[in-house]
Amino acid sequence: MPTHAGTPLIEASDLTRVYHRPRTSLTKPGGAVHALRGVSLAVQKGERYGIVGESGSGKSTLLRLLCALDKPTSGSIRFGGQEITGLPERRLGFLRRSLQIVFQDPMSSLDPRMRVRDIVAEPLVALGEPVGNRVTELLDEVGLPAAAAERYPHQFSGGQRQRIAIARALAPRPAVLVADEPVSALDVSVRGQILNLLADLVDEHGLTLVFVSHDLSVVRHVCETVAVMHHGEIVESGAVDDIWIEPRHPYTRALLAAVPTLEGLL
Amino acid sequence: MLSVEGLTVRAGAVELVHDVSFHIGPGERVGLIGESGSGKSLTALSLMGLLPEGVTAGGKARLHDRDLIGVPESKLKDLRGRAMSMVFQEPMTALNPLMRVGAQVAEVMTLHGRPRDQARARAVELLGEVRLPDPAQVARAYPHQLSGGQRQRVMLAIALANEPGLLICDEPTTALDVTVQKQMLDLIAEVAPALLFITHDLAVVASVCERVLVMYGGRVVESGPIREVFTRPRHRYTEGLLAASKLTPRGTRLPTIQGSVPPAGQFPGGCVFRNRCPHADTACEKVPALTGEGHAHACWHPADRG
Amino acid sequence: MKGRVNAGLIAGGVLVGLVVAMALVSFVWTPHDPELVDAANKLREPGDGYLLGADKFGRDTFSQLMVGARTTLYVGIVAVGIAALIGTPLGVIAGMTRLRWLSELVMRVNDLVFAFPALLLAVMLGAVYGAGTLTAMIAIGVATVPAFARVARAATMQVMVTDYILAARAAGRRRLPVAFRHVLPNIGSMLIVQASVSFAIAILAEAALSFLGFGTRPPTPSWGRMLQESQELLFSTPRLALWPGLAIALAVLGFNLLGDGLRDYLDPKLRRIRAER
Repeated sequence: MPTHAGTPLIEASDLTRVYHRPRTSLTKPGGAVHALRGVSLAVQKGERYGIVGESGSGKSTLLRLLCALDKPTSGSIRFGGQEITGLPERRLGFLRRSLQIVFQDPMSSLDPRMRVRDIVAEPLVALGEPVGNRVTELLDEVGLPAAAAERYPHQFSGGQRQRIAIARALAPRPAVLVADEPVSALDVSVRGQILNLLADLVDEHGLTLVFVSHDLSVVRHVCETVAVMHHGEIVESGAVDDIWIEPRHPYTRALLAAVPTLEGLL
Repeated sequence: MLSVEGLTVRAGAVELVHDVSFHIGPGERVGLIGESGSGKSLTALSLMGLLPEGVTAGGKARLHDRDLIGVPESKLKDLRGRAMSMVFQEPMTALNPLMRVGAQVAEVMTLHGRPRDQARARAVELLGEVRLPDPAQVARAYPHQLSGGQRQRVMLAIALANEPGLLICDEPTTALDVTVQKQMLDLIAEVAPALLFITHDLAVVASVCERVLVMYGGRVVESGPIREVFTRPRHRYTEGLLAASKLTPRGTRLPTIQGSVPPAGQFPGGCVFRNRCPHADTACEKVPALTGEGHAHACWHPADRG
Repeated sequence: MKGRVNAGLIAGGVLVGLVVAMALVSFVWTPHDPELVDAANKLREPGDGYLLGADKFGRDTFSQLMVGARTTLYVGIVAVGIAALIGTPLGVIAGMTRLRWLSELVMRVNDLVFAFPALLLAVMLGAVYGAGTLTAMIAIGVATVPAFARVARAATMQVMVTDYILAARAAGRRRLPVAFRHVLPNIGSMLIVQASVSFAIAILAEAALSFLGFGTRPPTPSWGRMLQESQELLFSTPRLALWPGLAIALAVLGFNLLGDGLRDYLDPKLRRIRAER
């Protein structure tokens, strides 16, 4: 079970991100979209941290900022105690090595023109590390045969493609795995396979997991801590079980009430 | 009211939907559950005569004694939008981005003979009936000015404009946020006449429908009253699906159906589920027929419970 | 990438194949020397070794067509080659850069070149450097750069918003490797289609230039010049215009069909019915 003492592994302070829409009139500037309005959070090493929000909540923006794929308008992010906001790409090697991400749509997160072998090895190649047998090792870890390395993404099912994406994320032996709605685009009967796989891998490698979803019940199954986002802010955060039983913020309550559950209906 | 017998849908040599039969009485709410490759959308599209190029339907389907399969477009045009209508999944692409929303609702009425000004007035009324705030204002808006949930309501208004006897919904809430979805489902439950509700989400279908058909690999594998089917599933696929939908406590393994849905045309012969079923044996090499009154299933080794 | 082989692809392929075959065979054999002036055979009618007859200088029409096919293909290849080699990097840079001003600058310069008439460019180049096949190729090539840059930019922008580019960045890939490893392979099919279409346009442009006297110099056979030379005899000996005209038309048609066919073949959305759901 995770320890919650000491410096958080990921720490965000007062993050804001404003997008400017292009002008529609000659005299007035384009409107501003406040995707994040002052978000602060802390993820401890080994923790399974969930982020729940609907569309427009800012969770995708937050994710990109945490992965240094975008720059915040203001605020700071520290990884392992080190500030990453404002660092140029060439100084971010340490982050790339330690934090990897699995995206939502397995169809668009794998380059259709690349072989699985090259897809999975990409983080190693990018970081200048030797590839060796890693690809076969990784494919094995995610439950795919070694022969899969020579094939192309379109030859696999959605669930298998997510496995490939997970294998890629594990290549540089990261300390943190970020998963952005990893099972939302998969069939119901296959979701369990991927969630079980993620749980196994997180246990085996002692990973810290940041799990983003719009589905609070999935987050409840996977994470101990959760932050609920709405309109660019975190409205409530804490232990998932506590929030599930006693949601305090009206939005969280509305969210919980809206989820249709079989148990309730039958 | 709607009776479907032996519906088959083919794309060239590949059979995508095989021998589907069901009926929907007036005012009945029937759900069609399936994952990708189950053929659920194709079933609905074939009833509406909206199959894509190269895909053909066979078998029989009748709505109020009017044939729907193998009938020329000219006859179907009459029925579509009037006797039966459809709400699609993607509100973004289903509405014409260049036309005001009120005009689009009115259009479906004028297409079926309503005079223009009547249609326009009724359009505003309909927008109110689907619980859009300030309907007169909304009628003058363009689709991109509305949210996803609002657009879906507009689609619903268009579908209900000519008071159809049957409403077909194909994953109408899948692209919507959970809070918006709940409102939409409540609305559909309230205003729909007879309903064929297609989705992959078991909880969603349970909140709207009374009866359910479970499809896998282009066939109906189980059917019956929702309460029965979901509490005492007979077909192993339904059983697996229900188990997979229940999120067990943290730290435990989630139940799952091993393997994945085969691509079209590559489903096994005999029982279409047997390559993923933990209870399959040689008996399953023969296609099981749909048996049982009321609660029917097509399985050689059904889950016997109660 | 498997796609649906369609009628356009086959028809286009056949026509283009014919042109290529004619050109290739002409290197080893032509029925007669196409450049040989032979007064004895002046305006000879088709038959007896002169498959399509001879022109006013006694040169065999069929042999001229065959060697002319070479010119047609050279111009197409060099012009499209220049356009692709210059236009593609421009378009990719414009599509990948996060500096709005750079993207805008490249595209506006592009528009300027686009607006400049290719024929005028060829004439100007011809006046300075002497008219001929090479100046024609360069002029047409430069004039085709904007089309490539535009397609490359649009395709690049589509690719840049995909998750796999984001994944590459998250893996630590830098810009240049992303461009080579991810962008180029994925915009390739759109560029190939553009190349086919531009090829057709280049053929027409060369024919027009040769017709006007700014293209291939005599005695090298060129379809465009054959047309021009047939002008004065148009009503008495229409076959002299018919064959080069037909050759140009079919070559252009072939490349256009090939381009459309390739686009349909390579476009994943138009492939076999997505038989899911």
